[in-house]
Amino acid sequence: MATLHMLSHSPFSDSRLVSCLRLLGPGDGLLLTGDATYALQPGSAQLQALGLMPDTIALFALEEDLQARAIAAPPRVQVVDYPAFVELCATFAKVNSWL
Amino acid sequence: MKFAIALFSAPHAPSSRRALRFAEAVLAGGHEIVRVFFYQDGVYSAASTPVTPQDEWDTAAAWSALVRDHQLDGVVCIAAALRRGVLNDEEAQRYERDAASLAKPWELSGLGQLHEATQLADRLVCFGGP
Repeated sequence: MATLHMLSHSPFSDSRLVSCLRLLGPGDGLLLTGDATYALQPGSAQLQALGLMPDTIALFALEEDLQARAIAAPPRVQVVDYPAFVELCATFAKVNSWL
Repeated sequence: MKFAIALFSAPHAPSSRRALRFAEAVLAGGHEIVRVFFYQDGVYSAASTPVTPQDEWDTAAAWSALVRDHQLDGVVCIAAALRRGVLNDEEAQRYERDAASLAKPWELSGLGQLHEATQLADRLVCFGGP
């Protein structure tokens, strides 16, 4: 069952992103919010790890959190605003927040 | 689609703002919120006593307005609230405290309300952490 995983912790301060990437299966999605968007920092190992995820896994990032941190999303990552965030939750069968 | 929204973080955490923006977008998108549930430090967003400086954003007031304006079912975990000093009139009386501090639109109830909300809703979306 396709699950949307939602992260908000910085991948530079804990291992949630690493644990999450290991769990993602085909059809699952990953939404980066808050400090988790730092995973898209150019040149970082985290961005490289995201780039290695298979195409069957969709990557998303919350627009306002990217803007607040002046991070540009790479083409692979779909930028979503709040209405799109809501629709994402409806598209995936489950939403799993990494609190 | 029916959403249940759970908030675990204190008002100053960016995740509590995200939860509020998400809740607004759910309603604006024509969806239903079956229940908003505050747990752990999230209960501080239902407290009526904190005073936010005028030039800062008042998360608790914004949540109260959302719950009131849309007549949402706003539930605060009673165990989490009591240990953090967020009491309604009944609990303030029961534990002989001087004042109640739960904002108007909120109800104190048990964790079972979160469980029930997940059964009633199509999606549970939790917000917490930073």
